[in-house]
Amino acid sequence: MSVGFIGAGQLAHALVKGFTAAGVIAANRITASSPDTDLPTVSGLQKMGVNFTTSNKEATHKSDVLFLAVKPHIIPFVLDEIGPDIEDRHLIVSCAAGVTISSIEKKLLQYRAAPKVMRCMTNTPVVVREGATVYATGSHAEVEDGKLLEQLMASVGFCTEVEEDLIDAVTGLSGSGPAYAFTALDALADGGVKMGLPRRLAVRLGAQALLGAAKMLLDSEQHPGQLKDNVCSPGGATIHALHFLESGGFRSLLINAVEASCIRTRELQFLADQEKISPAAIKKTTLDKVLQQPGVSSTSDATKSSVNLFNNRTGVKK
Amino acid sequence: MSVGFIGAGQLAHALVKGFTAAGVIATHRITASSPDTDLPTVIGLRKMGAYFTTSNKETVNKSDVLFLAVKPHIIPFVLDEIGPDIEDRHLIVSCAAGVTISSIEKKLLQYRPAPKVIRCMTNTPVVVREGATVYATGSHAEVEDGKLLEQLMGSVGYCTEVEEDLIDAVTGLSGSGPAYAFLAVDALADGGVKMGLPRRLAVRLGAQALLGAAKMLLESEQHPGQLKDNVASPGGATIHALHVMESGGFRSLLINAVEASCIRTRELQHLADQEKISPAAIKKTTLDKVLQQPGATAAGVGVRTGLNLFNSSTSKHKKN
Repeated sequence: MSVGFIGAGQLAHALVKGFTAAGVIAANRITASSPDTDLPTVSGLQKMGVNFTTSNKEATHKSDVLFLAVKPHIIPFVLDEIGPDIEDRHLIVSCAAGVTISSIEKKLLQYRAAPKVMRCMTNTPVVVREGATVYATGSHAEVEDGKLLEQLMASVGFCTEVEEDLIDAVTGLSGSGPAYAFTALDALADGGVKMGLPRRLAVRLGAQALLGAAKMLLDSEQHPGQLKDNVCSPGGATIHALHFLESGGFRSLLINAVEASCIRTRELQFLADQEKISPAAIKKTTLDKVLQQPGVSSTSDATKSSVNLFNNRTGVKK
Repeated sequence: MSVGFIGAGQLAHALVKGFTAAGVIATHRITASSPDTDLPTVIGLRKMGAYFTTSNKETVNKSDVLFLAVKPHIIPFVLDEIGPDIEDRHLIVSCAAGVTISSIEKKLLQYRPAPKVIRCMTNTPVVVREGATVYATGSHAEVEDGKLLEQLMGSVGYCTEVEEDLIDAVTGLSGSGPAYAFLAVDALADGGVKMGLPRRLAVRLGAQALLGAAKMLLESEQHPGQLKDNVASPGGATIHALHVMESGGFRSLLINAVEASCIRTRELQHLADQEKISPAAIKKTTLDKVLQQPGATAAGVGVRTGLNLFNSSTSKHKKN
């Protein structure tokens, strides 16, 4: 089995690192593509032994499972580009926040009778094999396709199937979650430094405390509130600290964060549902690089509407 | 080597669970004691195969490394009770927040010329072998004693030696830290449930996201701010969420929490430095249970002023 990544940024890099560390697939069976070779993650991918190419079509040809690891607004553009190259064997796995299975299937049905599509939401800790992933299966993908994806993603963390309409909420919670944690860790370390600890030790202790607590929770049947109670001895230091957190509406800020991320995901979904990509969303140099790839035609239905604005200047019509 | 715990509560239970899971010591070489047999953790300790007794003195006699796992205000009381039983071999490890090495040494010097004392601050995730522990070594403990403790505590998580005057700050950060995390996961799960997720899944995803992020940070040379930047794609969902957190002063709340816990720890240190325990701090039933233990004398237990108030009723327990 070969795996491909359209997109060679943070997500592709993190997944490849996790997969190869887990030994679930060999690096030489992985291809990643991007017209942009300047991304810092590109050299990382190459160092891991992945085949890197500037041609998305080449990544498609070389893969059985094809991850779409580009930003949501790029998805329609990419689908039009690789649509003609999709075969029956391909399993398309979109990781783009807010991009619905039906929007992807709708595009691909122009090229193929029964495109196998899955949608997943994962997060960057896949890079250390402690990711959180959920997925939903499209109408033409089989149960075995879901199991295959689950096998891949479970090698790098927690993975479970969900109803597609829960994925935006998952984005707000575990998709964005690591960023909430990094912010918290930075602040906890500041607190430690304020009270006299050296920075390195403060960062280390803060991260270790969060990791240990999260592991306790995952390994326990108990409610987080019960575990919190167990740490708060009467009149002790911890309950004094918790009072400050509650007074400042700590809990509410986190609820707000999950909500804000989820709502923005739904907004992105709306933008991605548009079938034409605005020329304002792509750099002309990037578009040129794509058009220069073998097999890409500026007159194909695909790029026609997107490239109308550029017709005069690109002149690389085949 | 045998290990003993004075106190059979949350901390003793968590450490015993971690040590035995790590295989660093066999359960039958562990003794835990408490006059209070009703603690829920007592059952847990027994189930793990640790030897439980109501006699602190018995624990001392059966141990080489002796953890003081009681609440800070109980420490002076316990030290007076077990002082006469400390031998040269004993390594006393106090886990009590805010209790200084010098206060412990001062008490024990009444009984022994060179008591070996180490102070440590750990946290409950030792129970899943992902604890965070720091320790400082007293004047009579050797480097090897520190290494021995580091070996024990290193089997259940991160462990490093620090200057004693940093321990209160560590209490505020990683001592109390798990509580901040439990609060955060509860709130994150509420957020997930608000947006439509089932509770179990929301708790699972929230805890997994925190665990994964913490692991990334521990394994990375990068600054947490850099890791945060890497997750926040332009115009994306995450940066929108981060904005609402910053607007609410999220970071400041956590700095406040670490500070509050550290300050309270220093207050507790002041209370623990008192040499006599106020009778208001101990239940009479608990005191009676201690006095009933073989070898315990009312005079030997550091409740002098308190006991005066009780003299008439406890006279039957005085031993000659």
